[in-house]
Amino acid sequence: MTDNNTTACVQCVHCGELCPRQPTSTVELRFCCNGCKSVYEILRANDLCEYYRRDDHVGVPMRQLQMPADAFVALDDPAVARQLLAFTSDTMHRVRLSIPSMHCTSCVWLLEQLDRLDKGVLRSSVDIMRRQVSIEFDPTRTTLRSIATVLTSIGYEPVVRIEAGTSQPSNADRSAVRSLYLRIGVAGFAAGNIMLFSVAQYFGASTMQPALITVFRIASIVLSIPVLVFCASPWFRSALGALRARRVNLDVPVSLGIVVLFARSVADIAGGVGEGFLDSFAGLVLFLLVGRLFQQRAFDALSFDRTYRSFFPLSVRVERKLEEEVLPIERIAIGDIMHIRSGEVIPCDSVLLSQAGYVDYSFVTGEALPVECIEGALLFAGGRIVGSSLKLAAVKDVSHSYLASLWDSSSTRAHRTTWLHLSDRFGQWFTLVAVGAAAIGFLVWLPNIAIALNVFTAVLIIACPCALTLAAPITLGTAMGLLGRKGIFLKNIGTMLELERTTDVAFDKTGTLTTTSPDVRYEGRDLSENEREALACVALQSAHPMSRAVAIALGRASAVPSLQRVQHIEEHVGQGITGIVDGMSISIGSSDFVRGTTSNNQNAASVWLRVNDDVVGAVHARPLVREGIRAMIERLQSRASVWLLSGDSDRDRDVFSSTFNVNAMYFSQHPTEKVDRINGLRNAHRHVLMVGDGLNDAGAMRAANVAIAVADDAATLVPACDVIMRAHQLSHLDGLLRYARAMKHVIVFSFTISVAYNTLGLSLALTGILTPLATAILMPVSSLTVIGVSVAGARWYARRFL
Amino acid sequence: MSVVVVLVLCSLLISGGFLLAFLWATKRGQFDDVHTPAITMLFEDRTPTDKQ
Repeated sequence: MTDNNTTACVQCVHCGELCPRQPTSTVELRFCCNGCKSVYEILRANDLCEYYRRDDHVGVPMRQLQMPADAFVALDDPAVARQLLAFTSDTMHRVRLSIPSMHCTSCVWLLEQLDRLDKGVLRSSVDIMRRQVSIEFDPTRTTLRSIATVLTSIGYEPVVRIEAGTSQPSNADRSAVRSLYLRIGVAGFAAGNIMLFSVAQYFGASTMQPALITVFRIASIVLSIPVLVFCASPWFRSALGALRARRVNLDVPVSLGIVVLFARSVADIAGGVGEGFLDSFAGLVLFLLVGRLFQQRAFDALSFDRTYRSFFPLSVRVERKLEEEVLPIERIAIGDIMHIRSGEVIPCDSVLLSQAGYVDYSFVTGEALPVECIEGALLFAGGRIVGSSLKLAAVKDVSHSYLASLWDSSSTRAHRTTWLHLSDRFGQWFTLVAVGAAAIGFLVWLPNIAIALNVFTAVLIIACPCALTLAAPITLGTAMGLLGRKGIFLKNIGTMLELERTTDVAFDKTGTLTTTSPDVRYEGRDLSENEREALACVALQSAHPMSRAVAIALGRASAVPSLQRVQHIEEHVGQGITGIVDGMSISIGSSDFVRGTTSNNQNAASVWLRVNDDVVGAVHARPLVREGIRAMIERLQSRASVWLLSGDSDRDRDVFSSTFNVNAMYFSQHPTEKVDRINGLRNAHRHVLMVGDGLNDAGAMRAANVAIAVADDAATLVPACDVIMRAHQLSHLDGLLRYARAMKHVIVFSFTISVAYNTLGLSLALTGILTPLATAILMPVSSLTVIGVSVAGARWYARRFL
Repeated sequence: MSVVVVLVLCSLLISGGFLLAFLWATKRGQFDDVHTPAITMLFEDRTPTDKQ
């Protein structure tokens, strides 16, 4: 007899999540929690309700966000503020903040109205792609800290990182895009004008005055000099870098082609032989730059590199000399007494000074249920305090804690060179063939030096692997953009080729295959309203994480327990809680405590309930397997071996035994054991994909060839990885792998086309009849075909597989 | 034929002007964010009383 939730279909006005049975409501408006309600009230008070008119239920769910008032105290520290501020003057400061939770039009609208919520703000502008907001404020009227607090209060918590050596959302990526645009502008200008001069010469040279032809040719040379010096410089730099390291990459033949094209053209014009290939030259550089733009634009969306520090609070309250002060976590010293509140993360290994408390280690170890700790227990950094606030004494400083060591031990990254290998291998191969063919052509025509030189340069020109350099970036860049729209974010374009090679997929359990919040249900006899109320009242007296689950299961999540009615509350640490409400004697707790027998239900964490002498039933918390996961794993098994590596106990073995092979399931895995399993697979020359979500997977994710982190929403912190995937997309993982395979085929197909064009050109070049006109036609046609095939392929397969 | 040279110079001058305008706009950050302005331009303008 499960509890029938009659109002389940009511959505929260703010965030659109389903409201619990007794929603927190103001008149007719329904909210899922008090957090959402308070955001609504802030917005209404400031006449900003237009926010809800742009999209329905746009708000950021506030249930997980419970920021204490002094969370951003560290921002008052001038040294910290200096690191963050991009510009300072007496009347205006500018800061750029990352806000991962912004996602839609309404977010942009609200964040740009920030001056109405904080009167000291002068102007705020949003960059939705990078999820950043740039805020100008008057330092005499507001502070960085109060801006951060206002943002947090409306659900847009800024992610502030203050660590030595890391820059804030920097201008580096911007200046890269800018310089690319500048190069494209110059190259486009030159290519267009040179083409006008060249077309005139191709079709009207016979009727033109020689003086005019000379003018055109000199103008072409002048226009192409900035193309050579400025626009093509990235390829020269890369090629020189590779040659200096005694390697050959794909940029070497490209650079060779560009230089020879220019040199031969200038020589032709100077010698009065012909009009040269300057139009092809400028066009080639322009196409190469456009290819690079595709590559660049895919990078904008997300920041992937995170250290364990990103998961910690900025500051903690520390008791020193009988006074409380708020310190940035770097300054915590061994022996400091810290106050950590419910929902906060423990920043360093420490000893518990309070009597008892609950710590949720799911992020560090993967255990789904919070651990109960008693006075004197050693608590590890990374655990999240649940229930009541605790007093801790630091025993290690932040950078020497267990969590930091876990991170460091996993930071030696496995070689990730498929992408570079591919391009370098092609580079070597190509350079060899091009130079070889050029040399042969030269030798064959040798008695006639002029023709021999002509053939030699023509071969090098036509062998320039322009289309080749375009094929991979454009295919993969387009694919990355399409995946991003679906909620799958790739770190770089090489990741796709790593995914394609996957032979083994390893999954974490908690938070990856199952949702982070378990499915909580009451099972037992029907309860009267009074009993329900009484049980919830007693349950809410306890800070134990399961108590709230009990109240939710009874449909009384937000019932304010009327203290007058509850008498004789007694909490038995590790067992349960008893109390008397309206004459009913209530006990809630473990099977032992309530019934006197040990529970035989191994599948779920259960809390038993007793009213007077009657054991009415139990509340079970079962892991909730995400939708579509089983079917996905079954489909996956046809193309890869599938493993389950869980840090949790084997309580849930039965849930997965129908899906996974018995020998492929590992429970109670310590993070280092996960790393060993992955390394074991890799040593057997398997290509491993690790899918995880927490810090306990961080090591395994680094050890694997490619790693996917699953995030419930954009604001979730995930460990360093190659792909960030929205949780609801995990059921399409097999589609992603098939798509990656298809993308490789598209690239190979594009390569084939471009090789065909090159062969055609090469035969013309070797026979010595490669004219500027033929080049001017052949080069753009081959580049455009490759671009077309790449983009169309990426889009077509996206519609099929994603 | 010298008129062609004059025309060529004119065309180079004009297109060069556009190139300079483009370079200037890029350096001023016009192309840094090409997504958000597409969204913000659809918002209602705020009346001066809103700002108070």
